[in-house]
Amino acid sequence: MDKETVISVESVSKKYCKSLKKSMYYGAMDIGRNMLGLSSKSERLRNSEFWALNDISFEVKKGETLGIIGPNGSGKTTMLKLLNGIFWPDKGKITVKGRVGALIELGAGFHPLLTGRQNVYINAAILGMKKKEVDKKFDDIVEFAGIGDFIETPVKFYSSGMFVRLGFAVAVYCEPDILVIDEVLAVGDIQFQIKCFRKMAYLKEMRKTIIIVTHDMGVIQRHTERVILLNKGAVYGVDVPKDAVNKYLALASCGYDELGAYKTSIKIDANKPQLVGAKRLLGNNDEQDLCLKRKIYNKNEFRYGNGAARIIDFEVLNSDGKEINCLKSMESIVFRVKVKFYETIEKPIYGLLVRTKDGVELYGNNTLYNDMDIGRQEKKQIVWAEFTIHMNLQPGDYFFSAGVAEMISDGILPLDRRYDLAHISVLPADRSFGIVNLNTDIKVYHEEHS
Amino acid sequence: MQEIITTYEPDNSLKKGYVSIFSQIVLELKQNRWLTYQLFKRDFLSSYKQSFLGVLWGIILPLFTIAIFIGLNRSGILNIGDIGAPYSIYALLGMAFWQFFSTGLVACSNSLVNAGPMILKINFSKKSLVIAAAGKAIIPFIIQIMMVCILFVGYGRTPSILGLLVPVLIIPLILFTIGLGFFTSLFNGVMRDIGNIISILLTFLMLFTPVLYARPKMGILATLTKYNPLYYLVSTPRDLVLKGLIPEWKGFLIVCFISVFLFIGCLFVFHLTETRVAERI
Repeated sequence: MDKETVISVESVSKKYCKSLKKSMYYGAMDIGRNMLGLSSKSERLRNSEFWALNDISFEVKKGETLGIIGPNGSGKTTMLKLLNGIFWPDKGKITVKGRVGALIELGAGFHPLLTGRQNVYINAAILGMKKKEVDKKFDDIVEFAGIGDFIETPVKFYSSGMFVRLGFAVAVYCEPDILVIDEVLAVGDIQFQIKCFRKMAYLKEMRKTIIIVTHDMGVIQRHTERVILLNKGAVYGVDVPKDAVNKYLALASCGYDELGAYKTSIKIDANKPQLVGAKRLLGNNDEQDLCLKRKIYNKNEFRYGNGAARIIDFEVLNSDGKEINCLKSMESIVFRVKVKFYETIEKPIYGLLVRTKDGVELYGNNTLYNDMDIGRQEKKQIVWAEFTIHMNLQPGDYFFSAGVAEMISDGILPLDRRYDLAHISVLPADRSFGIVNLNTDIKVYHEEHS
Repeated sequence: MQEIITTYEPDNSLKKGYVSIFSQIVLELKQNRWLTYQLFKRDFLSSYKQSFLGVLWGIILPLFTIAIFIGLNRSGILNIGDIGAPYSIYALLGMAFWQFFSTGLVACSNSLVNAGPMILKINFSKKSLVIAAAGKAIIPFIIQIMMVCILFVGYGRTPSILGLLVPVLIIPLILFTIGLGFFTSLFNGVMRDIGNIISILLTFLMLFTPVLYARPKMGILATLTKYNPLYYLVSTPRDLVLKGLIPEWKGFLIVCFISVFLFIGCLFVFHLTETRVAERI
C-alpha cells in the first residue's frame, strides 16, 4: 500500500445466506469453529449461500471523493459496511488507514426517550469520539443541526428533519479521515442540504476522503471525481463520473436480462459505435450509419438500446436550412434525426437531450411529454424526427443527444439512445455570463419626485 | 498524527496469534471505557422513562417471589430450614445477589439483539455493549440492599461489620455474570431460542439454588448445591453480612477461580467471533 492510498480492497468477496434457518445454523457453526480456534473456511459456498460481492478490488487515495453507484441489490451498501468493518469479508483483504465515519443511517443509535443532549453524547461515543472532544464540539454540533432549544427535548418529539439533522451533525463533527455516506443526503430541506454539501466541500479541502453511495446522478456528477459502478456484486467499471453515469443509465434501462450482452460490448469502438444490448438484431445492421460522416459527430458518444429501431443519420440546420456546426447565442436551430425501424413498433417515442461538456443536463424533451400520438411504425420504415430549439445558452460547447424508445405496458424500452451524439459550439451574441442566456433588458432611471 | 491502520480479512484474529489478541482485547476495553459508560447511561436513563413507578419495577417482582415463599413457609408446605436470621432479611439479601446475576445475564444475553439495528449501521465495540448491559442489574441491586438496611433497623439487629466487604465479594459474581453473558449474547444473536431458554433455565436454577431457603444437610438438593457455583456466589456474601463469616470458603475460592477463567475465556471467544454476529442478527 503506497503512502497516498487510504483504502485498499483486494479481491474481496462477501457471501449471504438466503434461508433464515440455514443462516442461524451456519452462524452457530462458524462461531463454534472460531471458538475452537479453527478457520471458518469462509471461502466455500454452502447450500443456499451466494456471493453478494464477488472479487472486488479497488483503491482510494487520500483526499479523493469516490462515488459508488449501481442498481438495487448490486452490493453498494454491503461494500460500505465492509469498508466500515461492520461486516467482515469472507475472502480477500481490506486495509483502511485512519478513522472511518459511516453515515449509513442518520441518527442510528438515537434513543427516542432521551433528550437531544444525551443522545449527542451517546451517539458521539458510539461513533468513536472521546469525552473531551464532545465537550468541545457540542455547541458547534447543536448550531450546525439548527435545533436550538429542542436540544433538551426527547428526540421522540423531534420532526424527522430535526432528527436527521442532529444525526448528520454528530457524524460529521466526528471528523473522520474517511467519510462514508449512504444515500442520506436526500433527507432534510434544501437549506440543510446546502449546509451538508458545504461541509463536504470543507472536508474535501481538508483532504479527507469521501465515499458516496447514491442513486442521485446529479450528486455523482457534481461531487465525485471517480465512480465505481457495481452490478450483481461485481465491479462493472471504474470511470470518471460522466462515463459511469452513462453506463449506469444504460444498465438501469436495458433491463437485467440484457446485461450479458451489454457487458461483452462495454468497450465501445469510437469509430464504429455498436448498440450495446442489441442482441436481438445483431447482424441485421444493413443500413450504413451516416452519423459518423457528419462533421459535428462526437466520436465519444455513448450508445445503447435493443436496436429494434436505429438512428442512422442526423443534421443540425440553421433557420435558412443550412447545415451548421456553430451558432450564435439566442439563435433558433433545427436538430433532426433519421430513424430506421427494424421491427414494427406500436408506440414509438422520440426524444432529445442537451448537455454541457461536464454532463450536466440542461434540457430534455420528447414526443411523449408533448402528448403527441405518433402511431405505429412498420418494419423497414424510415422516419425523420425534427426538433426546433431556441438556443438560449451562453457561449460554449454543448452536446445533443437523441433517442428513440418504445412505450410498453410497464415503462419505456430504449431502442436506440445516442448520448452526446452531436457537438455544437455556441458563439457570443451579447455580453453576459452563466450557463443560460435569459436575454435581460436593463433599464436605469431616476426615481420620480412627486 | 500517527494513522491507525486497520485490516479486515477472514479469521483475522486466528492469523495474529493468541498473545497479540490478548493485548488487543485489553486495549480495546481500556479505550472504550467512556463508550461503555455512555451505553450504560443510555440503558439506565431510558429504562425508567415513560413509567410512573420507574425504578421500583426492578424490585416489585422479587418482593412478590419472597411473599410467596413466606406464605409457603407459614403454611408449612415448604421447610425453609435453619437460617439464624429473620426470614425477610435472609430472603431479600439472597434475592439481591441472585437478581444481580439473573437480571445481568438476561440483559447481557439480549444486548446484541436489542442493539441490532445499531450494530448494522455503526462499527463500535460490542464488548462495551455487553458489559454496559450488565449494568442494568446495579440499580435494583442497590435498592434491594437499601431495603435490607431498613429491615435491619426495623428488626433492631446489626449486620456484621464484615458486611462492608460485600463490594469485593461480589466481584466473582460480576465476572461470572458478564462472562456467561458474553457467551449467551453471541448465540442469542444468531438464534433467538437462546433468550427463551435462559429465562426458563433461570427460573429452575433459582429453585435449585438455596436463595430463599437454607441449604439442606443431605439429600439430592444438598449434592446438587455442592456443585452449583451460584450457591457459593450468592450465599457467601450473605453469610458474611448475617454471620460475619464464610463457612464454605474452600468452595468459594474455587468458584472465584472458575469465575475469573470463565470471564477471560468467554471474552476471548467473544473477541474471536464477534465479527461473525453482525450479519446474522
